[in-house]
Amino acid sequence: MSPEFSDRTKKRIDKIVARYPRKEAAILPVLHLTQQEFGHISDEEEKLVAELLGIKPIEVREVVTFYTMLNQRPVGKYHIQICSNLSCSLLGAESLIDYLKEKLGIELGETTEDKKFTLSTVECLGACEQAPCMMINFDYYGHLDKKKIDEILDNLK
Amino acid sequence: MIKIFIDEKAIEVEKSTTILKAAEQAGIDIPHLCYHPAFPPEGTCRMCLVEIEGLPSLELACSTQVKDGMKVSTKSERVIEARKGVLEFLLAEHPPDCPICDKAGECSLQDYYEEYGQFENQFNEFKEKREKKVKIGKNLIRDMERCILCRRCVRFLKEVTKTQELGVFERGIHSEINILDGVLVDNNYSGNLAEICPVGAMTDSDFRFKTRTWFLKKGESICPLCSRGCSIFIEYHEGFSRFTLPKRVYRIRSRENHKVNGFWICDIGRYGYSYIDENRIDKIIVNNKEGGETITWEKMVILLAEKIKRLYYIKKTSRIALILNTWLSNEELFLINKIFRNDLSVENIYFTDPPEGEEDDLLLTSERSPNKRGAREIGLDLKPINLETLADKTDLLLIFGSFMFDQFNLAEIKSALDNIKMKIIFATHSNEMNSLVDIVLPMSLIAEKEGSLTNVDGIVQRFSPVLMAQGECQPEWKVLVNLAKELEINFRYYSQFSSPEAILDEMGKKISFFEKKSE
Repeated sequence: MSPEFSDRTKKRIDKIVARYPRKEAAILPVLHLTQQEFGHISDEEEKLVAELLGIKPIEVREVVTFYTMLNQRPVGKYHIQICSNLSCSLLGAESLIDYLKEKLGIELGETTEDKKFTLSTVECLGACEQAPCMMINFDYYGHLDKKKIDEILDNLK
Repeated sequence: MIKIFIDEKAIEVEKSTTILKAAEQAGIDIPHLCYHPAFPPEGTCRMCLVEIEGLPSLELACSTQVKDGMKVSTKSERVIEARKGVLEFLLAEHPPDCPICDKAGECSLQDYYEEYGQFENQFNEFKEKREKKVKIGKNLIRDMERCILCRRCVRFLKEVTKTQELGVFERGIHSEINILDGVLVDNNYSGNLAEICPVGAMTDSDFRFKTRTWFLKKGESICPLCSRGCSIFIEYHEGFSRFTLPKRVYRIRSRENHKVNGFWICDIGRYGYSYIDENRIDKIIVNNKEGGETITWEKMVILLAEKIKRLYYIKKTSRIALILNTWLSNEELFLINKIFRNDLSVENIYFTDPPEGEEDDLLLTSERSPNKRGAREIGLDLKPINLETLADKTDLLLIFGSFMFDQFNLAEIKSALDNIKMKIIFATHSNEMNSLVDIVLPMSLIAEKEGSLTNVDGIVQRFSPVLMAQGECQPEWKVLVNLAKELEINFRYYSQFSSPEAILDEMGKKISFFEKKSE
């Protein structure tokens, strides 16, 4: 079945689209709402957005593949995005990434079998003062080490 | 109009123009890769940086508008250094595989490197390995390593064909030009993509690895495959001294002409060139019971003139019939009209043309012959063939072209022609129809002769021979002039027609449509 927006999202989208002189200019906020509603943006959702904004699906794909925070595949209940950029790497992010992979038994970009965790890296969360850091869904966790990661994940039952 | 200075040369230009266009007008070449005159400036390749007096940074010539009194330098040390830097980054990922690249020899990046680059490699990193050979369109092969992301192809499909089969996916080093979910670029203008790609990222599988570009010579011509009459370049190979090649024409490319086709041509015109070399005839063939004899053109024309004269003197020219087509040039149709309709009062003049095809809203028209409009303007009635009346009323039949064959089957044509005493065909290609007639005369194609065509919008376009006529092939106009002179009905009049140009001049005097239309 092809996806459809809920009435609530539809109303929000209409409001956003009305702000711009051209419909397609609203693509980023609309994609955020789409992800909120469906959890990810696959080709089905791309087509939905394209139709809504009067553009071709390929133009939506261009935007979706450009931004790493737009998920093309379904993600787990908790999406762990760990920073792999300079400050975090200098403070041991690489070993933490390996630790997470081992602990969850998945590779980067994969989701655990129970659909609970998805692991991916991210280029700088803008929180170098807390390096090494990660973001789970929309919450930040800083000054990480293996012990702290264990605690955080244990609390996410 | 305002005055600007480029490399200390004063130039008067339109107010809203860009530096790059202004320089072009003044004959100054500013290197560019992503800019294409058909599209608005993109500014992604950074190749066109120039120095403007009074500005701290270098600016893009493709997107910076001129200002009154602006002083631009395109050859200063800073500019040359910047070009070197831009090239260094473009080549950071671009493979040096010119020896096996189809684009080599006509590649902008290669040319600019020769002129401005030539640097020591400063990168320690290996180049990224990307897909080298992916079919992404009907005749298109994409090499992602060579792509410099100028987006010309994406913009072409968005702005010209509006089909948008290509997009740029991912970002940074992973950016790639790709199709959506495996749907190939398949529109009637896809061949233009390989042509506008400034590097070898998009190559044409019709041309790929067939020859090297520097062996090709090119000549200006007009595409005869529909009544638009797009301006084209015919690119041909003259062969090598030690061995000959199986064909002459290797590709057709578009030629800029804003009155007719802009920058583009369609794929029907681009890929439909095999007829120029395949299956041609280059000798006069006489089909008689003994099985063929040789005859020269001079004797041939005398023989034909005598046949016509005999009918003329017994006032039986009504027994002559002609089958024409609109691949004939304006001049040829004019001569035929003059000789046969006016001088000899021949009434049975029919036309056969290739069957109509689908048209599109860009260039391709439904008429698949180049000169229907010309025939109408000359005053010829495009009457279709009626085989029965043709068979009953004819003693001498002159057939131009073999398009009859598209309309009737061989048996139908045979039974009609069998009733006619003398049948002569002016043919370019060999086919079964040639065995049904008495004499086959080898003719030159539009690519091999001179003349003019009137396109669907009434634009009269002249063309010159690009290729040498093969063997005994002759252009129709020459045969017709010789025939007219031999008929001796109006020798002096036809003697003035030493070239198609002279015929067109005469047409301008006689037919108001052709007055001052020739160009």
